[in-house]
Amino acid sequence: MTGVEIILAAAFAGALLTWFIGRTSSTAGSAFAVAVLLALTALVALLHGRVYETVFYRGFLGLPMSLRTDSLSWFFAMATTVLAALSGIFSLSYMKDRKNTGFFNTMLLLVNAAMLGVVFSGDLLSFFIFWEIMSWSTFLLISFNRGQGVNAGLKYIVMSLVGSMAMLVGIGWLLGAFGTLNIARLSELIPSASGGHQLVLLLLFGIAFGIKNAVMPLHTWLPDAYTEAPSPFTAVLSGMLTRMGIFGFLLILYVMAGAARVLHSPGSTVPTYNVVLAWLGAVTIVVPTFIAMLQNDAKRLLAWHGIGQGGYMILGMAFGTGMGLAGGIFHTLNHAIYIVLLFMSVGAVQHRTGGVRDLNSLGGLARKMPVAFIGALMGISGLIGVPLTNGFVSKWMIYRTLILGGAPFLAFAALIGSWGTILSVYKFLHNVFLGQLPSKYENVRSSPVSMKIPILVLSFAILLFGILPGLPLKVIDGIVVSFGLPSLDVSLWGIASEAGTLNTVNLFAALAVGVLVVLAFVRILGRSERVGQDSNYSAGCGVPRDRYNYTARYYDPLFRMISPYLKDFFSTLYDGLARGIGSLCEAVRMIYTGYVSSYVMYILLFISAMIFIHLTWNPW
Amino acid sequence: MTKMIWYVLSPLIALVVGILLMGLSRKLLARIHWRVGPPILQPVIDLIRFLSQKSASHGFLFDSGLILSLAGSLVLTLFLPLGQYTPMSGSGGLLVILYVMLLGPLGIAFSSGGAANPYASIGISRKLMLAMGYELPLLLIVLTVMTGYRTISIVEVVRIQQAQGWAIATFPLLLSALAYILILPAILGMRPFEVVGAAQEISSGPVVEFGGPHLALSTLQHALTTYIGLSLFVNLMLGGGSNPVFFLLKMLVVFVLCLCVHAVFPRFRVDQAIRYLWRWPALVAMAGLVLTVLMGG
Amino acid sequence: MVNPVLLLAVPMGLAFTVPVIERITGRVSRWVPVAAMLFNLVLCVRLIPAVLEGPVIVQLGGFVPPFGINLYVGPLGLFFAGLIALAGLVISVYSLTYIRTGPLARYHMLYILLLVGATGVALTGDLFNLFVFFEILCISSYALVAYNGDRAGLESSVKYLIQGSVGSSMLLVGIGMLYGIFGTLNMADIARSVGMVDQGVLFVPLIFMLGGLGVEAAIFPMNAWLPDAHSSAPSSISAVLSGIAIEVGLYAVARMVFTVFGISDLFLFLAFLGVLTLLIGEMCAFAQSNIKRMLAYSSIGQIGLILFALAVASGVTVTGGLFQFVNHTFSKGLLFLSAGYLIYRSGSMEISSLQGMGRRMPLTSLAFTVGSFSLVGLPPFAGFPGKFLIVRGALERGGTVIVVLTGLVLLCTILEGAYFFRVVQALYFREGISGGSGERAPAAAAVAMILLMMLILALGAYPQFAETFLRSAASDLMGAVEHVGSVL
Repeated sequence: MTGVEIILAAAFAGALLTWFIGRTSSTAGSAFAVAVLLALTALVALLHGRVYETVFYRGFLGLPMSLRTDSLSWFFAMATTVLAALSGIFSLSYMKDRKNTGFFNTMLLLVNAAMLGVVFSGDLLSFFIFWEIMSWSTFLLISFNRGQGVNAGLKYIVMSLVGSMAMLVGIGWLLGAFGTLNIARLSELIPSASGGHQLVLLLLFGIAFGIKNAVMPLHTWLPDAYTEAPSPFTAVLSGMLTRMGIFGFLLILYVMAGAARVLHSPGSTVPTYNVVLAWLGAVTIVVPTFIAMLQNDAKRLLAWHGIGQGGYMILGMAFGTGMGLAGGIFHTLNHAIYIVLLFMSVGAVQHRTGGVRDLNSLGGLARKMPVAFIGALMGISGLIGVPLTNGFVSKWMIYRTLILGGAPFLAFAALIGSWGTILSVYKFLHNVFLGQLPSKYENVRSSPVSMKIPILVLSFAILLFGILPGLPLKVIDGIVVSFGLPSLDVSLWGIASEAGTLNTVNLFAALAVGVLVVLAFVRILGRSERVGQDSNYSAGCGVPRDRYNYTARYYDPLFRMISPYLKDFFSTLYDGLARGIGSLCEAVRMIYTGYVSSYVMYILLFISAMIFIHLTWNPW
Repeated sequence: MTKMIWYVLSPLIALVVGILLMGLSRKLLARIHWRVGPPILQPVIDLIRFLSQKSASHGFLFDSGLILSLAGSLVLTLFLPLGQYTPMSGSGGLLVILYVMLLGPLGIAFSSGGAANPYASIGISRKLMLAMGYELPLLLIVLTVMTGYRTISIVEVVRIQQAQGWAIATFPLLLSALAYILILPAILGMRPFEVVGAAQEISSGPVVEFGGPHLALSTLQHALTTYIGLSLFVNLMLGGGSNPVFFLLKMLVVFVLCLCVHAVFPRFRVDQAIRYLWRWPALVAMAGLVLTVLMGG
Repeated sequence: MVNPVLLLAVPMGLAFTVPVIERITGRVSRWVPVAAMLFNLVLCVRLIPAVLEGPVIVQLGGFVPPFGINLYVGPLGLFFAGLIALAGLVISVYSLTYIRTGPLARYHMLYILLLVGATGVALTGDLFNLFVFFEILCISSYALVAYNGDRAGLESSVKYLIQGSVGSSMLLVGIGMLYGIFGTLNMADIARSVGMVDQGVLFVPLIFMLGGLGVEAAIFPMNAWLPDAHSSAPSSISAVLSGIAIEVGLYAVARMVFTVFGISDLFLFLAFLGVLTLLIGEMCAFAQSNIKRMLAYSSIGQIGLILFALAVASGVTVTGGLFQFVNHTFSKGLLFLSAGYLIYRSGSMEISSLQGMGRRMPLTSLAFTVGSFSLVGLPPFAGFPGKFLIVRGALERGGTVIVVLTGLVLLCTILEGAYFFRVVQALYFREGISGGSGERAPAAAAVAMILLMMLILALGAYPQFAETFLRSAASDLMGAVEHVGSVL
């Protein structure tokens, strides 16, 4: 029997212990960290199907702090721990020869523990506390790589603080209005609040969650953070940590404000909020996806997709029919799986090439690092949503919802985003793994086993959830039902409904038969000989290496057309704002002139001004 | 049982029709150019020759990409109504079709990536850019159809058209049809959008490294692509067909019209192509969607 | 029951023995402040049960108030006395090794006197007595700021002296006026009759006192001495000045406004002044590249925050403000103490010269980090409950102006986060500058820092403990009527 308290206690204690073990031996520390993460996975798995709430601490300012678990919490917790465990395994060899491994492991476990705390929180105070612990430990990990990571970390924590402060106001307000922060109690009380109040609350919380989930225009921290964080942590960051924003949105919209109110309440302000949110989601899909196309840094390219894919989740969730919601939640899981996989593949390449992730200088690594290539291939397939991968199913659900829900423009944004994705991820795949191998990477070795395992597991998961989407969808259906929406007609191989069914097993069978037919055809009729990659086009002559690989400015004509329109306007705006505040601060500093005479004058001026005001207007 | 037969028949008919259309195109093109041209069965002869040859392979990815591509295209024919027959009608509808359509080009892309030929890479990058160009209006068109008929099933789309008249003859959808006609050559890879193959510049681009059986597979894939592009247009805009013969006849008409354009136009550069595709067809398609939403709402 | 007078008498007596002990044996004298503060701390703890039952009034010299001078040891006074004793104890442990050169005996004597002055201000029930203790506090701090004897120290000490004297004169003028109006200087006595006097007449002495105390409390615009004084004093003294001296000044302001004058009309203005102080402090801190000046400006900001909290004047915010007092004492103390050794090792106060210190001085850097996080108000450190209480109380109280001001307060938190995190990053994540020895902080400093870190964590994890006491302290502060009733 396991309880939420035990899981959290284990998670935090594990983080602490990792620190001490890591101080004696960094190898032992890493091994212990992985063991803790695996144990947590098992503990969370055992929690399946339980719904309860328990007060775990009464020592905080008279507000009982509680933990709860239900299908929603369990789903996010499960995804979090599994992905964290895989990242932990991945980091075993990635972090092996680096400095401060112990610190890295500790922070990784702390982030994980904080995320578990967030999803299991039964009241908003615990939620906020865990949220903040999550934020600052993330900040430390983003800065971990030094160099540019320092700026990325600062950007992250400042934006995160903006969100937290908004949330703090929201929480303070709720406490003042309802006298409780318990989520279950609030979900009974909030629907009775006035529309204006609800809207303000949703806005305040929306800022916090929007920043965390990098919804445009609050996304600017993400590209830098994803790019600069150490790859195993980028995996965690992109996989679940960023998606705590989605969890938060689900919490305020569906658990607290109530599904019924979100969906069918004319006159209420919440639906309007949802429409705006859905449109923000649509913008978040389109713009970052096209910006991703212009990137030349593998991690930055994926980072922009991280923003874009978040848009799908927002869109599905905000549009808010049962299927759209399920699609949004499912997409959260799917995205986590393939983006973690992609960052791991990049990490593996970085590990073997000495930290290179410049798309213009790599190439042809598929033969040298086949497992990383398979990971990248499966990852981008999922990201595009190629049929029979997991991304396809969730995207299908979202599209279907939008089209049949009478929102073709949103659907268009979502679809065009997918097509833009193809371009950029093919460029990613091609420039890293396909084409010519630069001679300096002739001797690159295959990735270590501890990197292969998570890559293969996740690749398998992409196919599994793509062919048998019913496995996770059953759980998600439980979440949807717990929000008070009608159950989806989920079977193991897809979704049946009167206006369009999806049957992935059919599709799989057809494609498998197709491949077999073609294969048989080729086997019977075709003959071929294996030749070197460049022996064909050079007609046997010696080719100067590294000269004919077409990678730089891969989509040049398109690039020239669209790049003037794809400036990250908001990033420029915020940077300008930060600079403006900086110079304002410099100006304010001039108040303290350094001359004691002016200081004394300030004192006298204050007193005389006060007396003057008093005598003239007598306001007091 | 008759239904089961179509699981085999559909791809076969698609292949045969595709290959014949290729032969027809060369013949017709030659005639427009005042040449004699090869016989209509020339592609079949070529295929037999390719298969009898031995080809150079660059490894697993090089082979499997091509296989995936052809298999994907074959599967796709199962989703497209051929007259009244649609083998896989209940497996996701138009959205799945849109996505399965990806497998063809993606497979070719992986395969060419497996080779180290820069021409192949350039060809693929052009292919993807051009696809981005025509997908934008195409997605709008497909969305308009789905919104207009309130279904995501292509079978339903055909059924409604046969009951209520072709899409091309109903008002807001007329605009979509118009846009579709404007982008059809790009989908079929015909001039003025023949930027991917571009034999004179980049040695036929993606297929440059293919020889022998590999080239045969890619030819078959190309034949299927032509079939699929035409079939989708006929099904979405021209009401499909009440039986396969009638359906194929419609395809033939559309193809010949495209061929006439192909015969007389020079080709765009890729950026000109995108610029064109994102301007008029996209605008018209968008107008169609807006009007459909307004009138439907 | 122990007599609270001992809280003042014993340390003061010990202070004057320091030169004598110094003559006999130089090695013991530095332990005297530790002993004095330990004594005070124990006394405070022993006083808690009695004080929670009701305030302890001590008449000095046997005269009954309002004629005699009295000490008023309520929960609030005891809270401050305890806080001063605790912080003073930790910092004096730190000073054991930190202060190595210079006239040591004078340092320790003045240090005790400073704390005695602060304790006296917190405990007294008489205005003139308050003034006297203030002077003890100020004069010892003028001297201590210049302790290093360098140019910067002397200059800022003189500046501090000038401004402090102006402030003291204002205070004295204010007190004089009050005596003229009421004929008494007993706080309770004045509070009793304050309602019978025309408010207009009261305003001028109030402003004079506010101005005078404002200098010591570092309220904008009377706080210009602070950045200079705090940054050029020895770090242990900076810690005391930031963590205790200005807080006591703010306490005195609050006592005047809440208990003596009982003027609620001025609260909104004070809240505004608090936010202004906060804004200016944080903005200046943001612009600093010198770590001690940054910390000093941050103290101005914190004072502004606490002033805001007190001026909102709901039970919750005042509790939050008092909590923030505690947090600021511990966190800023910890920051100054750790910065002291960071500067000592790197030889420069520039933030850029602290790069890579996380590796060379892990414990000190960790202490700085904990202090920073706590001051920004991140859970699970002590800063969070205070900030949470303030925000909660301010929002509960409502009103457009207060809500807008709360928003500004939170904006300042972001600014504060930005500059503190910048330093934390410099410590850990920027490439280190080589040079200097890799020595660790000595044991006494380590003990002091670890103690403060543990206090911060404990308060952050279990704020209930402090909050129950602080709530009664808050009602002590706000309940003028009870004050009058218990004294007279």
